[in-house]
Amino acid sequence: MNLSFFDQFMSPSLLGIPLVLISMLFPTLLFPSPNNRWISNRYSTIQLWFLNLTTKQLLTPLNKKGHKWALILTSLMTFLLTINLLGLLPYTFTPTTQLSMNMALAFPLWLATLLTGLRNQPSASLGHLLPEGTPTPLIPALILIETTSLLIRPLALGVRLTANLTAGHLLIQLISTATTTLLPIMPMVSILTVIILLLLTILEVAVAMIQAYVFVLLLSLYLQENI
Amino acid sequence: MLSRLVLRAAPAALRALPPPPLPVGVLHATRQLHTTQQSLAPLPPLPEKGGEVRHGLIPEEFFQFLYPKTGVTGPYMLGTGLVLYLLSKEIYVINHETVAAACILSVIIYGVKRFGADVAAFADKLNEEKMAKALEVKNEAISSLQAAIDEEKKEQWRVEGRTYLFDAKRNNVAMLLEANYRERLMMVYNEVKKRLDYQVAMQTLKRQKEQDHMIQWVEKNVVQSITPQQQKESIAKCIMDLKALSKGAHAAL
Repeated sequence: MNLSFFDQFMSPSLLGIPLVLISMLFPTLLFPSPNNRWISNRYSTIQLWFLNLTTKQLLTPLNKKGHKWALILTSLMTFLLTINLLGLLPYTFTPTTQLSMNMALAFPLWLATLLTGLRNQPSASLGHLLPEGTPTPLIPALILIETTSLLIRPLALGVRLTANLTAGHLLIQLISTATTTLLPIMPMVSILTVIILLLLTILEVAVAMIQAYVFVLLLSLYLQENI
Repeated sequence: MLSRLVLRAAPAALRALPPPPLPVGVLHATRQLHTTQQSLAPLPPLPEKGGEVRHGLIPEEFFQFLYPKTGVTGPYMLGTGLVLYLLSKEIYVINHETVAAACILSVIIYGVKRFGADVAAFADKLNEEKMAKALEVKNEAISSLQAAIDEEKKEQWRVEGRTYLFDAKRNNVAMLLEANYRERLMMVYNEVKKRLDYQVAMQTLKRQKEQDHMIQWVEKNVVQSITPQQQKESIAKCIMDLKALSKGAHAAL
């Protein structure tokens, strides 16, 4: 089986057939589609409640025009959440550890918010480049800095998600390797390492959920500025 | 669990297949696979509980399936043997992922055991609230109608007592009329008496006036008819009477 640390990050393929598409589409199978029952089973009820909660949370700060983004933001959130959480299971491939996929998600969405702002309210969206109340000599420097920070946003979004998940997965791999190697040599240290691994796993579960939420939250913030 | 999915999905899948070009009799035979009705409404009710699973993973049907041949410990022996086979033949290699798997699985199992019941109760509560809101509408309609029925009954009871009310009112009115009639009768009597008294007083006055007038006339005539000689004779007679009387009085004393 996997002997190297980086095999988990390789795009899976079976007999030369790339399976990455299946691994990206698989999480949708886990969610029941809402059926035409008034009172449905517990799973559907909880799913509906959760989707309502996240939609309300994400869309309350947005004005009415921003509500057009409801579907894509909520579905993106669910997608990332499921993929991140499923990636914690052993021997699974996590698509969000690939920079290509995260950039493919972040860059078009960020660009969409930017272009929306530039098209509908160009002066206001350019005005975001200069915070209020800056002293006059600092204005040129600050404009450059703000432009850089604007242009680096998609990169930050993508890399943040990738780095967090990759780092987490790698840490889990390393510490479990340490545990396995230490087990015949120094069992007590091995047990200590297992405790560390347990804590790390809990952290990784939290990180998986938080990173998904942060990704979508930042996109909604960029949208708020520009819509 | 997947087997159950397949079994449940089988009728729908068979329905989705194109109908085979077979004689009618064979079609009736294949309808045995239809476990539900063919129409969409009314929806069949949801089962109360999900499928029974043992140890959270393996459906109960598997244990029941193996029970006749291998008894109660059969599936466990099968599981243990399978795991040992995989491990000993190194079909499943123990590496660092095993430790990671153990950790994540223990976290998941702890989470499910600790929060499972709460989440289920929460889901049930959401459904209950939804139903309670609808039932509330129904119950409120029922209670308002019940109140209307009670009001109606009270009004009907009031109607029964209405006859007594009307009798009392009728008596009241009759009494008023009677009193009014008597009052007017009294007034008429008084008025008539006043007029008659007036007539009587007039007559009395007239007679008195006639009497007075006649007395005056008589006196006047008498005084006129008294001649001076008669006057002198009467005065002399009076003096003689007085003398006689005085003599009598002196004698009495």
